[in-house]
Amino acid sequence: MTGLAVDDAAWASAWRRRAPGDKVLLCGGLVVAALVLPAWPGSVLVGIVAVVLAVGPARVPVRTFGRAVRWPLAFVLTGAVTAVVEIGPGGPGWAPDAAARAGSLLGHALAGSAAVLLLATTTPMSDLLPALRRARVPAAVVDVAAVVYRLLFVLLDSMRTIREAQTARMGHSSLRRSYRSSGALAAAVLTRSWDRAHRMQEGLAGRGMDTGLRVLPEALPSSRAFLAATVAGLAAVVAASVVLA
Amino acid sequence: MHIAEGFLPAGHAAGWTIAAAPFVVHGARAVVKEVRENPESTMLLGAAGAFTFVLSAIKLPSVTGSSSHPTGTGPGAILFRPPVMALLGTVVLLFQALLLAHGGLTTLGANAFAFAVVGPWAGYGAYRLARAAGAGLLPAVFAAVALADLATYVTTSLQLALAFPDAESGFAGALLKFLGVFAVTQIPLAIGEGLLGVLLFRVLTVNARPELERLGVLKPAPLATTGGAA
Repeated sequence: MTGLAVDDAAWASAWRRRAPGDKVLLCGGLVVAALVLPAWPGSVLVGIVAVVLAVGPARVPVRTFGRAVRWPLAFVLTGAVTAVVEIGPGGPGWAPDAAARAGSLLGHALAGSAAVLLLATTTPMSDLLPALRRARVPAAVVDVAAVVYRLLFVLLDSMRTIREAQTARMGHSSLRRSYRSSGALAAAVLTRSWDRAHRMQEGLAGRGMDTGLRVLPEALPSSRAFLAATVAGLAAVVAASVVLA
Repeated sequence: MHIAEGFLPAGHAAGWTIAAAPFVVHGARAVVKEVRENPESTMLLGAAGAFTFVLSAIKLPSVTGSSSHPTGTGPGAILFRPPVMALLGTVVLLFQALLLAHGGLTTLGANAFAFAVVGPWAGYGAYRLARAAGAGLLPAVFAAVALADLATYVTTSLQLALAFPDAESGFAGALLKFLGVFAVTQIPLAIGEGLLGVLLFRVLTVNARPELERLGVLKPAPLATTGGAA
């Protein structure tokens, strides 16, 4: 357990051992399809495919997937309602095609979010970072991103522990105390992150690793059957959208 | 609150990605140069990125009784400078998209422009101006952190207004709508994040003075004279 539900789901997913490139092709294709196809029926089909694949063959818990969608949903609902309100001479009112436009925005955003979540809940970040290296992102940048990924769980754990201790000591019993505790919490997390960084650096230097973080990448072979099914499935989604539209 | 996946039309998503790219590439070059000269910087930069992610997860109490989350880029802009924050902010956004479903991949460029470019630069500019005008560290930190937060949401409103202009009042009307929803409501939260920044730096000046001196935020304290010859 890492403490982030999406990351936990990714490590436990039935698709964890699939090649990251295969999953990037599938989810990237679904993301693009959700963006460029008409909301009806394109986005609806993409959303259905992403959810069915996640809770079906990838065995992502329905609860995890559903809870993760809440984050984008709050923004999408607020943004869509704001976008379809018109400011006329008589004040604000609904645009004539408000329902259709709001539905289209909701469809594109929720289908796209479901496609990104399919990738997020089946592929840990540590599998995706080597793909960035293959995409010619400088090694130093990928190394920094890898350290961010590994440290953030340690720091999130520290944050929860410190906050729990502060709460037990009435540190969040009033607005004033809560602000003071939050400031102390942020400072403690920052100084701990520096301390961790120094200790990790000393440990790595002691092992002679002073020119990049070389690790043995896990061999996750690509599947031709998966790639063929991905291409066929994406083509079917596009064809069905064109025909039904 | 970042722009969700699929919310921006394809042309706008691509345009903002192109707009953010030079800043992120410049940040990446700064990081590569720093790591080449000081290999130990990898860990410190990674720690800075992880701190930004975690800072954005701290629940900030709100006067309305609810809570919100800081953007977290203001303190980073003061401590590590905006070019580095352009890269670290983009990495944090990528992680937020893939670990929290917060933001998206096609909207990464637009979110990076607001969160990792405009926010840190606005905050750092306010910090430098305040310091040049003779303000102390803590008032300058308040201005920087609050402005970094607010500038991020003003930019997000601008991006949404460009993508969805009002049928009657055009871009100006749409900007008013989105500013009203995403930026005006953010003012008390920006003040709250500014206060959090002040409290953070007040603790750091006591507990982490050597690090602040090394990062150039504080001038090294003059050595105490002993009064006797060695």
